[in-house]
Amino acid sequence: MGVTKEQVEASLTSKMNPSHLEIIDTSGGCGASFAIEIVSEQFEGKKLLERHRMINSALAEEMQHIHALSIKKALTPTQWKQQQESISTPPSSQ
Amino acid sequence: MAAISFSTIQSSSSVRVLSSHPLEITPHKPLFLHRSHSTSFPSISSNPKNKSRRLFALVVVSSLKKLADAELVPVPGEADELASKFPSDSGVYAVYDKNNDLQFIGISRSIAASVLSHRKSVPDLCYSVKVGVVDEPNRTSLTQAWKSWLEEYIGATGKVPPGNQSGNTTWVRQPQQKKKPDLRLTPGRHVQLTVPLEELIDRLVKENKVVAFIKGSRSAPLCGFSQRVVGILESEGVDFESVDVLDEEYNYGLRETLKRYSNWPTFPQVFVNGELIGGCDILSSMQEKGELATVFKK
Repeated sequence: MGVTKEQVEASLTSKMNPSHLEIIDTSGGCGASFAIEIVSEQFEGKKLLERHRMINSALAEEMQHIHALSIKKALTPTQWKQQQESISTPPSSQ
Repeated sequence: MAAISFSTIQSSSSVRVLSSHPLEITPHKPLFLHRSHSTSFPSISSNPKNKSRRLFALVVVSSLKKLADAELVPVPGEADELASKFPSDSGVYAVYDKNNDLQFIGISRSIAASVLSHRKSVPDLCYSVKVGVVDEPNRTSLTQAWKSWLEEYIGATGKVPPGNQSGNTTWVRQPQQKKKPDLRLTPGRHVQLTVPLEELIDRLVKENKVVAFIKGSRSAPLCGFSQRVVGILESEGVDFESVDVLDEEYNYGLRETLKRYSNWPTFPQVFVNGELIGGCDILSSMQEKGELATVFKK
C-alpha cells in the first residue's frame, strides 16, 4: 500500500505550482520513503517551518502511507537562482 | 548509535589515541582524540618495528594529501561563508593560529561543522585550517589519516601540536559523564490521567527551553533522523530535554496527540520556548546556515 513517485509529483505540482521539483524515491520501491527538492513562488516570505507545513498539507493524503519524507530543499525561485549560480561559479574566479 | 571504541588501537600501537570513554561518532561531532602521555611520542616516528603497519597506513590513506601539501584555508568569520569554504565530509584537519603555528590536528565526520565549532569556542586560535578529506571513511582510515598527519608534524618539528598534548582540553568537548534521562509524560499507561495529554505536552514544551521528541532514547535513538537531531543538539552544546515517543508505557498515545498538538506529521520534533522549530531536515539546514546558535540563545 505504497505511494508512487508520480502521485507525490502530481499532488505537489497541482497544489504548489513549483518551478522546479525533484522527487527521489528512497524507499527502494515500496513507495514509503521520498526525498524532495521543491522551488515555488508560494514560499516567498515564509519561514522554513511554514514551507514544510505547506508541503506536508499538500501531501496530507499521501503522508498517511509514507514512512519518511525528507525535504531537502524548499526554496523560492530567487533563492534557487542564487544557489544555482553559486554552484556553477568556481569560488576561485571571484 | 554507533559507538566506536579505540581500545584496539590503543593496545596495538605506540600512538595512544585515548579517551576515558568509548567514543561515539556522530555527524558533526569532533572526535575526542588525545595522546595520553607526551613522553611516549618519540616511538611514533622512529620505531623500525612499525614498518609493516606503516605500509598498511599508506595503503589506507593513499589518496590523502600530506599535511605539508594541503592548502591553508583562512577561516571566514561568517558561518554561512564557512560552509562554502570547508567540506562537510569526513577527514582530518589541522588548525593554525594567526602566526601560522599549528595548534591542533583532529578528525571529524563533518569537517565544516567541527571547524565551525572550534571557530566559535576558540576564535583566537582558529585562524586558518588545512583539510584532508578521507575517502571511504571509517574508524581505521580516519585514525590512520590522523596519525599520518600527526607523525608528519612531529617528524618535521619534533613537537606535538599544543592542542593534542595530554591534558589540553581546548579543542575537545569532554564527554558528558552521563546523559540526561529521557523525560516521561505520564506515570504509566494504566494510571488514569487527571489532565489531558495535550495539556501535559503544552506544559512540558513551555516549561523547558529545548525539548526534542525523538524515536528511542537520547542515548540510543532508534531512527536515523532522531539520531541526527540528537547529534546536532549535542554538537551545538544545547542543554535539552528528550522524550521518547516510542515509549508505550510512560508516553502512551503521545505520537498521535503530539502530531495534532504541533500540526506536524513526523518525528523527531524539536521545540524551543514552546514553539516548534522543526524536524531533522529543518535543523540540519539551519545548522548548515549557522542559524541554530541564535535560535537556542533566545
